Amino acid sequence: MSISTEPNVARTRALIRNPGRTCRLFVALGVMALLCWTGAPAAIAAAQGWRIDETHTWVGFKIDAVGFPTTRGHFTHYSGRILIDFERPAKSFTSFTVDSGSVDVGSQSFTDFVKGPALLDAEKFPTLAFTSTQVEKLDARTARVTGNLTMLGVTKPITLTVNVDTDPSAKGSAKERVVAFQATAKIARSDFGMLFGIPLIEDTLEITVKTRALTDE
Amino acid sequence: MNESAAAWPFALRILHWVSAALVLGTLGFGVYMVQLVHDTAQRFDLTQTHKSIGVTVLALTVARLCVRMFTNAPKPEPAAPLLLIAAKAAHIALYALLFVMPLSGWLMATTTPVRVPTVIFGLFQLPYPLAPDLSAYRLAHAIHVVAAISLAALIALHIAAALMHALLWRDRTLMRMWRGY
Repeated sequence: MSISTEPNVARTRALIRNPGRTCRLFVALGVMALLCWTGAPAAIAAAQGWRIDETHTWVGFKIDAVGFPTTRGHFTHYSGRILIDFERPAKSFTSFTVDSGSVDVGSQSFTDFVKGPALLDAEKFPTLAFTSTQVEKLDARTARVTGNLTMLGVTKPITLTVNVDTDPSAKGSAKERVVAFQATAKIARSDFGMLFGIPLIEDTLEITVKTRALTDE
Repeated sequence: MNESAAAWPFALRILHWVSAALVLGTLGFGVYMVQLVHDTAQRFDLTQTHKSIGVTVLALTVARLCVRMFTNAPKPEPAAPLLLIAAKAAHIALYALLFVMPLSGWLMATTTPVRVPTVIFGLFQLPYPLAPDLSAYRLAHAIHVVAAISLAALIALHIAAALMHALLWRDRTLMRMWRGY
């Protein structure tokens, strides 16, 4: 199904609040990709609520190193807020926070180290936060979301590339629409004061968010 | 050592065989974790164990030398003078490498930019006396690798010599380290 044939999306303006303790957040990034649907046919209520499919959400990161394997990890607790305007993508907005103490890198001792003062310093900086400042449609399946990331108490602009799949293999229920997103960004962690291990551990940190957004037809 | 003893003291024999097991174990362990483990978390945990064993070997080697200083060693079994010199040199080299290996590993852990606390068997943290320094780390790493290869070669020689004593020359050298007489 091509994007341009998707109904139900134009003129949609939705505000989703996910203040819950668990998996809600990064749909925001993915949903930004919905903004590339601005050319879709109209026929929908002015506002439509989207929610994250928690069973298909993953918020992770990857970092390469010299003489040490590539480290992959993910976060388990986050929350987010989304405002979507399909007609005027620039008016769209998302913000989210991640519980830095919810990081998981595969073993308890390694996770404890990553949470510690050398890296995430979760005790001193319990959250990572992102607030979008700009959304651009690149093509029918891609959007670029610029925003401010706050990590270790330092706020810097980052850019995410968001791929959208409007026809994911696993459908929701008959009354639901499902859209899958994958948002990625490469950031220089040294910009945020995270200097541990440089240059043996690379400065570039790759963030990936995979999620699905659901909405009732 | 003033006079030769009839046999190796029990404490030395115990220290020898425990060290042998730990050294062989941690040599293999080190190669395994660096060459074959590609999961970061697993590598992280294995490195902690590797470092814990290395520090244990260092402590045992210090203990062995102390025991050697205060006890008498048995005279070597009769052999050609050159062989005795070679054996002495190999033993000194083994002792030297048993210091170089853990100390170069400690230097690596201290000077690496990837400075992870070394917690010995989860009990106490190893002090890091030096600041991170990439060139010092690379030097320590090179020493650690060369020393590991040298130690493996010397251990092979040591085992071969012990087997020669036991099987070819049929003297008491190996038995004295095993049973003490």
